[in-house]
Amino acid sequence: MDNKHIRNFSIVAHIDHGKSTLADQFLLKTGAITQREFKEQLLDDLDVERERGITVKARTVAINYEYQGEKYELNLIDTPGHVDFHYEVSRSLAACEGALLLVDAFQGVQAQSVANAYAAVNADLTILPVINKIDLPVVRTEEVLEEIETIIGLDPEEALLVSAKTGQGVEDVLNAIVERIPPPEGEADAPLRALVFDSKYDVYKGVITYVRVKEGTIRKGQKITFMKNGGEHDILEIGQFRPGMKTCQELGPGQVGYLLTGIKELGDVHIGDTVTESGNRAQTALPGYQQPKQMVFCGMYPIDATDFEKLRGELQKLSMNDSSFSFQPETSDALGFGFRCGFLGMLHMEIVQQRLEDEQDIDLIQTAPNVTYEILKTNGEVVTIDNPQEVPDAGVIDEFREPFAKVQFITPSEHIGGIMQLCSDRRGIYVNTEFLGPQRAQLTWELPLAEVVYDMHDKLKSLTRGYGTMDYEIIGFRQADLVKMDILVKGNRVDALSTIVHRSQADRRGRGLVKRLKEEISKHMFEIPLQAAIGGRIIARETIKALRKNVTAKCYGGDITRKRKLWAKQKEGKKRLKQFGEVEIPQKAFLSVLDASEED
Amino acid sequence: MAHRIKHPIHLEQPRSTYIHVPFCVHRCGYCDFTLVAGKDHLIHNYLEALSRELADLRAWGNFASSQPLSLDTLYFGGGTPTHLSPEELRRLFEIVFEYFSLDENAEFTVEANPVDLTEEKIAVLVEAGVNRLSLGVQSFEESALKLLERDHTRETIHDAMNRLRGRLDNVSLDLIFAVPGQSRKDWKATLAEAADLHATHLSTYCLTFEKGTSFYQRLQQGKLSSADEELQREMYADVMTFLPQRGYEQYEISSFAKPGFRSRHNQVYWSGRGYFGFGPGAARYLAGVRETNHRSVTTWLKKVAAGESGAQEREQLSDEDRARERLILGLRTLDGVNLTTFADETGFLMEELCGSEIEKLIAAGHLERDARRLRLTHDGRFFADSVTLELL
Repeated sequence: MDNKHIRNFSIVAHIDHGKSTLADQFLLKTGAITQREFKEQLLDDLDVERERGITVKARTVAINYEYQGEKYELNLIDTPGHVDFHYEVSRSLAACEGALLLVDAFQGVQAQSVANAYAAVNADLTILPVINKIDLPVVRTEEVLEEIETIIGLDPEEALLVSAKTGQGVEDVLNAIVERIPPPEGEADAPLRALVFDSKYDVYKGVITYVRVKEGTIRKGQKITFMKNGGEHDILEIGQFRPGMKTCQELGPGQVGYLLTGIKELGDVHIGDTVTESGNRAQTALPGYQQPKQMVFCGMYPIDATDFEKLRGELQKLSMNDSSFSFQPETSDALGFGFRCGFLGMLHMEIVQQRLEDEQDIDLIQTAPNVTYEILKTNGEVVTIDNPQEVPDAGVIDEFREPFAKVQFITPSEHIGGIMQLCSDRRGIYVNTEFLGPQRAQLTWELPLAEVVYDMHDKLKSLTRGYGTMDYEIIGFRQADLVKMDILVKGNRVDALSTIVHRSQADRRGRGLVKRLKEEISKHMFEIPLQAAIGGRIIARETIKALRKNVTAKCYGGDITRKRKLWAKQKEGKKRLKQFGEVEIPQKAFLSVLDASEED
Repeated sequence: MAHRIKHPIHLEQPRSTYIHVPFCVHRCGYCDFTLVAGKDHLIHNYLEALSRELADLRAWGNFASSQPLSLDTLYFGGGTPTHLSPEELRRLFEIVFEYFSLDENAEFTVEANPVDLTEEKIAVLVEAGVNRLSLGVQSFEESALKLLERDHTRETIHDAMNRLRGRLDNVSLDLIFAVPGQSRKDWKATLAEAADLHATHLSTYCLTFEKGTSFYQRLQQGKLSSADEELQREMYADVMTFLPQRGYEQYEISSFAKPGFRSRHNQVYWSGRGYFGFGPGAARYLAGVRETNHRSVTTWLKKVAAGESGAQEREQLSDEDRARERLILGLRTLDGVNLTTFADETGFLMEELCGSEIEKLIAAGHLERDARRLRLTHDGRFFADSVTLELL
């Protein structure tokens, strides 16, 4: 296909601004799907995504479109909508020449709109502003257009007004894509250079590699080489997503599609690598991407030790389809053998966890997540800490460092005070405030990542009644007065409950945590003291009183079935408890560490 | 692991029947039983449906008989059976006796509300052959009665007992403890008053906050607080100390009786024997299968009126389920479980089923065992549910 008739674009948007619906409208308007198939979130093919209404993995689809009597191929490369998946956004953008910046006509420009728009600008893309949901009864289109100009610096004159839901204005957007987004460049007979921008594992087909051809032509039967990773492969199949996989004979410069080579391990295909032809190698590889960095870690332990290998198998399976998730074996005195798992962020962690629960039946204990720390030891060595248990003795620590993030909030002006308070409570460093109009402002703070990832988003939402949004990027490690806080249950330290906290917050967190644990651990036949300690010093204490009575009064004919069910449920619940000495601790207790932060 | 069941009592012809009468003037705040309040216009439909459900009995292969089946125990519970008018009550008994007859020494119990016990209704009951009443008095204390939303007073109870004297002397009283605001002194006074009235049987229940009740809601909202666990324990301990002094022997977690006055009907539930059950929410246990009727009165009415089964759930107990259930229910009784009988009736040896758990519970002081039987210790009675969880 002639590259003049190809357009490659992404849609970037804040979550819930209607990205998937617009994508589906494109498919509907161009006949790629029928009205019947036009259902919400068609492009999100993972259940987890559908459940949460967000796109996690980048998806791509090729659309045929006729404009002024000529046939065009529009390649939509979908992007994930959550901060955890920033790196996926940037790698999708690298495969495009343009991006639609989709903004909700009522909600206006939000934190991820800004972050994603900047990413598109940085990738040198042509940006088309699109205002969505103009069919809503209450919109503030004029103000939103103004925001686009003041915050992102786009010409409001160029904005297109649509309703992805009703289809109004969608054709104008398709026309604008052809008119305004530049066609890809590249010679069809130059040596092949195709960018690998994603990959996916399929049980039947093996690894499906997503490519964007930059130069040259890729053909079925060709022998190809991955320029960075090495390895020579025959192309068994190439094709495009329409939106289902459809084979084709070749992909020319500018085209987007997939290739199958018989590779079975996802790890053998590196995102960002360049595909070239073995017999006619290109001189240099394409720039590629930075590897995503895991910033949040947690332990996952099978309750039943015999499930260890099974859990390993399941984690392996998951990591096959998600190269940004990592795991390695670790041991805990309290929990036995398990794995330390690394994630891009909290949402990523929750998604992986949910998949584990959906796809297998291993009872798990998950420890509270923590960020990565750095410790400079007195001998000059710098160690990375992914697990509070690895913190060395205070005596050998010269410097304890934690990751910091630059956080941007966009909020109605009335909530500025609340956000300022929240950030200063969380050891933030104020950077600045910019007013985006009379009613809205953008606040920038530098905050310890640990204070951001766990629940800042939830706190922000409740603080601003859902109107505030945030986005962050990691800006490096900084020294801080951090300590390891241990928890003693009936006098025994439970290593999996240890956390790293700032010394100034240790007392408050310690009190909050033992209080939460008191609620989570049920009464036993004996008294259970719960203590929080730093080094040998006890900083908080609670006591779970002994159980004194547990007997149901009534148990007649009509009660037996019900009671038995209730007992069976309790018994099932007991199975999910972990025995520590004489004390049974429920799975949920290990996550109390998170909720404890705001108590008192 | 299972052995031959030498004596399959669960397969024997049941000799007990429960009839649920789901009508009340008012639903009390703590009550989650199957009933409707203020819907007396449904009584007629109920009697029709009950008759229909009973008629279906004839179609059940094993129990098919054109003659009324003979019973050892018959129990009308509610709701409030005595809420029915004398006429409706007569009709109720008439319907039931079309299908069942009472053995010479049968126990025939009806649950009653003190305010309902007019001369006329007592006459209907006596005439029908009722020989045991279970009276929902709950308390003798005005503040507790008010909080529990009962429609009777201390005087109503005494009046009812006076009217019954000489005509229906076998009376059991239901009492509730750990009512918010109730002290141990109050509770002991209630126990004493019940004993003074010469009740033959007392059932004492610790107040629970069941989901769906207004008490539960008020508890969640912080408008009502449950008694402290230690106080609950002390009040239960008070029952176990005081009632034996007044001649009541404890024979189950909540049941106390003068010699010879244990509830024969209730003991069937804990014995592993079968029973019939009719009416909304009623359970039946026939040939090792337990069915529970719809708890919604209107659903049950609709189903039965449409000629369908009124059952909402049906569970076929496996041999092991049955054995464990037998153990758990048997342990609720103070006689405990006879080791030989258990093996003969379930096909399991107790030590095979849960030997290590039993040893643990014995070591913890919750169970005791002699050559013949396994049973709860005095301390174990406070933890019967914990024991159950271990053995399930």
